[in-house]
Amino acid sequence: MREPPYATVLKPYGAALVELARRRPEVICLGADLTRQTETDLFRDKLPDRFINIGMAEANMISVAGGLARAGRVVFVNTFGVFSTRRCFDQIAMSVAYPNLNVKIVGFMPGLSSPGGPSHQAIEDVALMRALPNFTVIEPADAIETRQAVAAIAAHPGPVYLRLKRGEIPVIFDDSHRLDLRKAQVLVGDEGCQLCIVASGMMLPAALAAARTLIENDVSVAVLNAPVIKPFDGATVLSMARGSRLVITAENHTIVGGLGSAVAEVLAEAGIPVPLRRIGIADTFAEAGSREFLFAKYGLGTRDIVNAAWDGLKINRPPPLARVVELSPGAYAPV
Amino acid sequence: MISAHELDAVMLRRLAGRIRLRATEMVAIQGFGYLGQALSSAEIFAVLFGGAMRYGHDRFVLSPGHYVIALYAAAAEIGLIDPQALATYGKDGSDLEAIGSERTPLGDLVCGSLGQGLSGAVGFALAAELAGEDRDVFAFLSDGEMEEGQVWEAAMLAAHRRLGRLAVVIDANNSQVDGPIDSVTTLEPLADKWRAFGWRVAELDGHDIEALRRALAARHDGPEPFVIVARTQISGGLRAIPPTVDGHFIKLDAALRAAITLELEAAIA
Repeated sequence: MREPPYATVLKPYGAALVELARRRPEVICLGADLTRQTETDLFRDKLPDRFINIGMAEANMISVAGGLARAGRVVFVNTFGVFSTRRCFDQIAMSVAYPNLNVKIVGFMPGLSSPGGPSHQAIEDVALMRALPNFTVIEPADAIETRQAVAAIAAHPGPVYLRLKRGEIPVIFDDSHRLDLRKAQVLVGDEGCQLCIVASGMMLPAALAAARTLIENDVSVAVLNAPVIKPFDGATVLSMARGSRLVITAENHTIVGGLGSAVAEVLAEAGIPVPLRRIGIADTFAEAGSREFLFAKYGLGTRDIVNAAWDGLKINRPPPLARVVELSPGAYAPV
Repeated sequence: MISAHELDAVMLRRLAGRIRLRATEMVAIQGFGYLGQALSSAEIFAVLFGGAMRYGHDRFVLSPGHYVIALYAAAAEIGLIDPQALATYGKDGSDLEAIGSERTPLGDLVCGSLGQGLSGAVGFALAAELAGEDRDVFAFLSDGEMEEGQVWEAAMLAAHRRLGRLAVVIDANNSQVDGPIDSVTTLEPLADKWRAFGWRVAELDGHDIEALRRALAARHDGPEPFVIVARTQISGGLRAIPPTVDGHFIKLDAALRAAITLELEAAIA
């Protein structure tokens, strides 16, 4: 694993999709007027015959994808997360999920990563997609996972929701990192740590930074990376949570129905009496603003994880301050 | 039983009558159901399944799943499914659900949620075009579902992509759950709307076998997608059905069933 501030790259998804489609002629790319923004300008320019711009008509796009998939195609559907889930939920349920078709819905600008306000901030997309039978839901944390996710979901028969950050994509993992559609990975610590943090996507850097601060202050911490939110690797979570005194989930998403809920379900069903704190958007719509401003205001910062740990572990000292990582242009660091 | 190769007009008229009879028997199982849909669309299904479409090669999309009763009836008549299975229509555990579903053993796409079928048909047509296949796509739509915006999203895209292998038949029976469509909202002028979207349009009497056949035969006369606005009656023109009946979901008591059956049997005798 690398250290923050993380270097960033551009268009890892778009490049990986082109690479996949060159190997697999049945891959089709659909878009809804956000071609450059979804990194699919690469596909449009390299493989124009298999790129179809549906226009701003997401409901139609999802059902067209269903028709193409019934005819044997592997269809990648690309737009912002709000439009690819919230706007066309019945179409996803009936045209894709129920018939269990090979449609990969890619939603950009997760949670509070968009300055566009609630109309453009996908805060409940994971909850929506997780509720649908047959769906796999994936949120990679960096460019390495994103590239691997493209090939992995193409190899997986059935519908997938792939939740992707837009723009500059951090490189957190080493090249040797392997995304596994069935497994969460323990990145820090081991079984028996006082605190277990389970994180996904854009919250993984904050979880790692919080863990570092806590470990420096004599709290033992395990960090789990959970890019696959459905089907959820409850076994790994349980193995880490069983001996811990506190579990914290960290997601750039409403705390209702996403990663935090998945962990809560697993813990409750296993009867593990460990307290759980869910770091995420606290059941509210947000507002327009920069990522830094919004993550700080809505409780998605490193400090929020540290404070939740301190509070949950009932440590009778003031909580430590998380080390601030200076953000240089083109780099990525947690808030 | 009638074989699936091209039938003459007399046989198609008889097939339409048999579809109505089959549907009446199916609805009689529960005493209520989507009989009006079969009565209004019987000629359309007869023409499509009586030779206009290469079933199993061309794609068939049934967008309004409430019409699946007509699909079952037509399929039983031409030997695609066992006619005895029709007796399970709408019963617990049956594949012949009253509203079309993924369990429906017929067609390439049978929807239940209205307004999605044309988009699926566009997907089939795009796939055929990409593969360079000689494969037409037939989509059956109803006028009521034109109230869903998705239909027009799909219509716009199909014309933009010049999907000339796509043929749509709309059963325009002016019926929806809350009553006549024109009492709920204004779809008309329906044919002009499709024309304005860039489609070639035929508007005809949907109970006229010859008109339906001629129109479908001319579906490749231009590069645009093709739509038939088939004007029909939810009663199928049956005198036995009182005008006050709720056409979307007909209650069929013994007396009404007997009257309908008598009239249909006389018509195909």
